[in-house]
Amino acid sequence: MAEKDAKAVAPAASQPAGDGQTHDYKEYSVAEFFKKNRQMLGYSGKVRSLTTIVHEYVTNSLDAAEEGGILPDINVEIDNLPDGHVKVVVEDNGIGIPKQFIGNALGKLLSGTKFHHRKQKRGQQGIGAAYATLFSQITTGKPTKAKTSLGDYKIYDCELTIDVKTNEPVIKNMREYSGKFRGLRIEAEFSEVTYNRSEYGVYEYLRRTAIANPHVQITLIEPNKEIVVFPRASKEIPAKTKETLPHPLGISTSDLMDIAQLSKARKISSMLTADFTRISSEKVKEIDAVCGEPKIDFDRAPKNLTWIEAERIVKSFSQIKWIAPETDSLIMIGEQQIEMSLKNILQPEQMKVVCRKPKVFRGGIPFAVEAAIAYGGKSGSWVSTDDNGNPVETKGELLRFANRVPMLFDAGTCATTLAAKDVDWSRYNLKGWENLPVSIFINFVSVYVPYSGAGKLSISGEEEIIEEIRAALMECGRDIAKYLNALDRAKEQEHRRSIFFRYIGEVAECINDLTGTDKALLITKLKKTAEEKTKILLAQGEEEAEGLEEVGAVEEDEGNGKAEE
Amino acid sequence: MAAAKKEKGDAAPKQIREYDAETMQKIQTLAAALLEEINKGENLHIDIPVRGSSNVTFNEKTKKIELGDKFARRYLFNVAHARRFMQTLLVASYVKKDLLENNLTATLRDLYYAKKHTIPGTKEDTIDEQKESDLAIVDFEVALDTFRERLHLRAEPKGRIAGQMVVTDRVKDKVDTIDLSKMGSGGWAVPSIVEQVEFKDIDAEYVLVAEKNAIFDRLNEDAYWAKQKCLLMTTGGQAARGARRLLKRLSSELNLPIYCLTDADPYGWYIYSTMKYGSMALAHESDRLGSKEMKFLGMSISDIEHYDLRSVTIKAKDVDIKRAEEMKAYDWFKAPAWQREIDKFLDKKIKAEIQSLSSKNLQYISTTYLPEKIKSQDFLP
Repeated sequence: MAEKDAKAVAPAASQPAGDGQTHDYKEYSVAEFFKKNRQMLGYSGKVRSLTTIVHEYVTNSLDAAEEGGILPDINVEIDNLPDGHVKVVVEDNGIGIPKQFIGNALGKLLSGTKFHHRKQKRGQQGIGAAYATLFSQITTGKPTKAKTSLGDYKIYDCELTIDVKTNEPVIKNMREYSGKFRGLRIEAEFSEVTYNRSEYGVYEYLRRTAIANPHVQITLIEPNKEIVVFPRASKEIPAKTKETLPHPLGISTSDLMDIAQLSKARKISSMLTADFTRISSEKVKEIDAVCGEPKIDFDRAPKNLTWIEAERIVKSFSQIKWIAPETDSLIMIGEQQIEMSLKNILQPEQMKVVCRKPKVFRGGIPFAVEAAIAYGGKSGSWVSTDDNGNPVETKGELLRFANRVPMLFDAGTCATTLAAKDVDWSRYNLKGWENLPVSIFINFVSVYVPYSGAGKLSISGEEEIIEEIRAALMECGRDIAKYLNALDRAKEQEHRRSIFFRYIGEVAECINDLTGTDKALLITKLKKTAEEKTKILLAQGEEEAEGLEEVGAVEEDEGNGKAEE
Repeated sequence: MAAAKKEKGDAAPKQIREYDAETMQKIQTLAAALLEEINKGENLHIDIPVRGSSNVTFNEKTKKIELGDKFARRYLFNVAHARRFMQTLLVASYVKKDLLENNLTATLRDLYYAKKHTIPGTKEDTIDEQKESDLAIVDFEVALDTFRERLHLRAEPKGRIAGQMVVTDRVKDKVDTIDLSKMGSGGWAVPSIVEQVEFKDIDAEYVLVAEKNAIFDRLNEDAYWAKQKCLLMTTGGQAARGARRLLKRLSSELNLPIYCLTDADPYGWYIYSTMKYGSMALAHESDRLGSKEMKFLGMSISDIEHYDLRSVTIKAKDVDIKRAEEMKAYDWFKAPAWQREIDKFLDKKIKAEIQSLSSKNLQYISTTYLPEKIKSQDFLP
């Protein structure tokens, strides 16, 4: 979460009314800037801050495993220390970090390589984990401990801090020793954070991460020493995301500014053709034409591009017809994998998974929606449990993901929430799902996730996206409705049977009085008929046919009941 | 069957024994049909003619409220019917086993208590309120196309009679002779079942039936029935079945004219119409209970004008108005004379009790009002 890139945000936020004062741009140390503006990275509120920390570590772990084609095993331990600090330990079995990169990976904000890895991303080995190092340092004054190995029996162990003024890593106590280990273990202490099991907390974050990543095994040790395992559901490692150049429709002004800073091209025009997909020199002329007066000098060096110019160029992108980006860069979780995962984590009575075909938004950016509804079992969020840990009271939950990353905050404005509100749930027997044991799963897949808000925890409510999510939910709803209707019918039949059975004894006794037939025999026969009349009928037609018998209720007497006393 | 065995030494008139055998036969037929359904694994059902306005019509020719041919099929295996189905069978079992087979009669309340119990293994009672078993009884009557007395069930007796007539009545095998002219101040209480009553010596020219006990007492004290050569009867409000059946028999067997006396208000008039045409609730028994020759003597709104009772009238209440409007629409109040009366009532919005005649003097009713009305045949149809 909050994988905001520093260079992009810092100038945007520091700029008074965007009047192009780009000379401000480099006067901040990125570290210094974010030290003051930590909420931009998701460090606001005690629960949220801890979730953000764990998120940064865990996404790095997932990426490190993916890089090596490894099935990830991630252990997370949270402990409340006596001095009020919270200790976080995250250990993975990923590829590990080479000794010379440890500092940059964990002790320097923005490693500066992200725009050469333009792919469907979950997080970068960049600002996220490094900011946790900084956060630990500013809230407790303590260094972050790292232990890593590439699996070559050489283990490195060190303590990291960041020099805030220079944004450079400070490594202490580097030890090298041999042993059997591969991966990364980070241990850090924090203050101003709180652990709990709320829907915004670490537990929920990991649970959802497990749901969207069935190939991952996550173990959580909570401060009360309770061990929670989200077991691996599938041994299928997701396809590696393909690296693609950004498409003009998918970027923001700050993205363009970053690209300009890092570009190896000598001119703005060649940066556009080289660092983007689908921009030809013809298109640069078109951009020039659309931007109009005052003319932008496209022959200047990219790093001299001003904020205002970047804004105009990005604006021109939306007015030009583009060839759509390639769609094979969309990496879906897949119907089967989601099913395995939901079965594994939620053990629902019924579920339906729908993976929709890719569509486009903003006139050409491909995206795809994967959705699922799980009903019953451990679906929904548990409001309370009994002594055996079984749900007593549950609430419906909306599990929102962008490229498998759980979005825990800012639900209100998210396209997923808006789409869910737009569905007429009563048609699917799910009216008031918010209070039913229901988990609604939505994964938005795109190389360019149109986040709304600074936190990157909410997908912008674009019409095409909402419509697509809505369609996916309705498709799921239809299937769940069938199950719920069958359940209702079964319940109703059960109810009817109990009524019939209640009177059978009396009726048999009366018939025995009237005909002398053995009462026990009558009861046996009547019960058999009652059973047949209340069988769960699968064929809709049959059901309706029997329903006809229910009509023709006897009319009540009216008039002067006074006559009889 | 069982009833047939008891015939030996039974002093009941042959007719009554035949009725019992016929009722028993009907119950057996119904039971056999149910048993067959059980054996075939079919849903048990009883066809019950629909009672109530949707299936009740007024036959202009016979002047009777009649039951139509609509019926509802009641099933055991139907959530909406099951309980009432069971209750109907409770009635059947009680009538057959407890009443017919033992040649006993019982009240509706007796049946209610006899069949009310908690269903084993549940917290539910077979019958909660007597109203439920009462309805089940009527269901059973109409399903068998018979009536309550034939099921040996009786309602609470109500109504008294006095006059120059001797009748015989029967309590099981004991036959009593009763002189209705020697019944003192209270008169003879009309039993709830009058089939067994036989009319002997009679010296009366008509029957005067008053809705109100007070009027009976007034006229009895005035020896009205002796002076006017009539039978005097009161129904004590809405007429019970026994009273209605007795009137019907006096009318059809003895050819006596019957004059009816009620308060001048819609409720009084409706009591009259019930005795004459039958009621919607008991439309299936209009034949037995309706005295179609009965005439309405009073009181009418016209009487209020004619006898100058304006000063002793009561202001009509909203419920009276509403009832009058309903009655105005009934087919059996469509006679022009009645429509005029009802219109007058709706117009003036006043009503009067019979006792208002006492404003003249206590005996005005027996010395002036009644003789005048009867002499001039000033009746409503």
